[in-house]
Amino acid sequence: MFIRKSMQSKVIAANPQTTLLDARALLNTHRIRHLPVLDEDDRLVGIITDRDIRSALPAAFYKANGESLNEDDYRHLTVGDFMTRDPMAISPEDTIQDALLQIQKMRVGAFPVVDHDGRLKGIISVRDLLRAFINGLGIEEPGTLLGILVEEKVGQLKKIVDAITEENISCGSILVQRHWEKNMRAVFVYLLTNSVVRVKRKLTDLGFELLDPMDWSMERRPHHD
Amino acid sequence: MKRTGLLYDERFLKHHTGANHPELPERLTAIYNGIRDRGLLEHLQVIPAQAAPRMWIETVHDRDYVDRFEAACRDGQPSFDSPDNQMCADTYDVALLAVGGILDIADRIVNGELDNAFCAVRPPGHHAEKAKAMGFCYFNNVAVAASYLQTQWLIERVAIIDFDVHHGNGTQAIFEDDPTVFYYSIHEHPSFAYPGTGRAFDNGVQRGTGYTRNTTVLPGQGDDFYREAVENELGPAITHFRPQVIIVSTGFDAHVDDDMADISLSTAGYAWMMDEIMRLGDRVADGKLISVLEGGYCLERLPELAADHVQSLLQI
Repeated sequence: MFIRKSMQSKVIAANPQTTLLDARALLNTHRIRHLPVLDEDDRLVGIITDRDIRSALPAAFYKANGESLNEDDYRHLTVGDFMTRDPMAISPEDTIQDALLQIQKMRVGAFPVVDHDGRLKGIISVRDLLRAFINGLGIEEPGTLLGILVEEKVGQLKKIVDAITEENISCGSILVQRHWEKNMRAVFVYLLTNSVVRVKRKLTDLGFELLDPMDWSMERRPHHD
Repeated sequence: MKRTGLLYDERFLKHHTGANHPELPERLTAIYNGIRDRGLLEHLQVIPAQAAPRMWIETVHDRDYVDRFEAACRDGQPSFDSPDNQMCADTYDVALLAVGGILDIADRIVNGELDNAFCAVRPPGHHAEKAKAMGFCYFNNVAVAASYLQTQWLIERVAIIDFDVHHGNGTQAIFEDDPTVFYYSIHEHPSFAYPGTGRAFDNGVQRGTGYTRNTTVLPGQGDDFYREAVENELGPAITHFRPQVIIVSTGFDAHVDDDMADISLSTAGYAWMMDEIMRLGDRVADGKLISVLEGGYCLERLPELAADHVQSLLQI
């Protein structure tokens, strides 16, 4: 799961001399929120976001009557003066897990992707990561999710997968919540079928407890409901 | 009392889905027996099915798809497009009968011979897409019917109300860009149930924006939730759209005893909902209403649910 597989490689970028007004127009036209800023050798020198630009321009620019402002008064403002210099970047050979953890830690919305020479190769945003996970979870394929409470011991998942296999059901994804209750895990299987009645019965017969859908959660942690 | 038709044909039982499949011929027998045992047959015009001409099927489905389906059936394939869709050599012919029977019913309703009808058909249809069989469905029965009403009878506005517990992804996809067919579905929330579509924010695309509407029901919800949705969402939407004919995708699988999903609608809740839809139909569509069977798998509950349903149609 490398960044290069999920990043956008056609990147809209600016340079330090780009005016803020032009940068704003680029963001609007392409419906994006981050512009990497490049020097004349295509090396990454900064990043500017829609928020940076909003803070730099009068609020009136963003109101319906923004046209009445004299834009010429703001044409001297350039990206170089408002960008974040030497921004945090990520390599195409890093993984999307790296990006997820970094994005969470740094509280940013996107990372420029640069090679070891500092040349821009792409950009990866929260939106790209979401898409990767939508694909990974298979939630756009028709199917039915089951939540199964499982004792934390070896071989439990095998029993579940065997039961599914015996029913000739194809499995879209499996998600394991490791900390459900003390010594218990929750296993969420996404089954690519309409009929789960028999497999549910089979799992119950095997001694598994099916979780009430209203209790399902991606966020359950120890000592935290 | 309304003049109500019942489309029923024993040939619908010839679509065999194999052992352990929930979409069984016995479903239809249970439905028929429930209607018979309540003494309702004498009030109904029972109409057998006739095969639909392919041209009408092809107003909705790709020609290649229909060919593929026919060939798979003739070749004795055990399933089509997904292991969910188990079938037998007769399935294609039965699917043609289901659609054809509904089109015949549509004729009789438009020309005034009947006010409304319950089409107790198999296989069901609302998951079937233009070129893909899904969730036990091969031809989208209600979609072909809507398209037929518009093409053959020049009906301008058709509403499809789908209260099967699963979202009718096929019906939605077929009409999502069409402002002349309003599709309303109330179903278990897609994060909990098959097929995982029909989010509350899906409301049509392009010219069809606003002409698709989805109400999602959380596991465990029942009569109270449905009552509120029917009164506050379905009712106003249908009144505003003013359909000339209403087609109902009737699924009995939201019943509390049906284990295909997690919704807790009661038998009385179902009856109330259908009575309410009938009132809407009388108000806006001159009572013209075609109910078409989709899901519903609890053999113990189907007789009473079907009998109540027909009683609502008859208004007795």
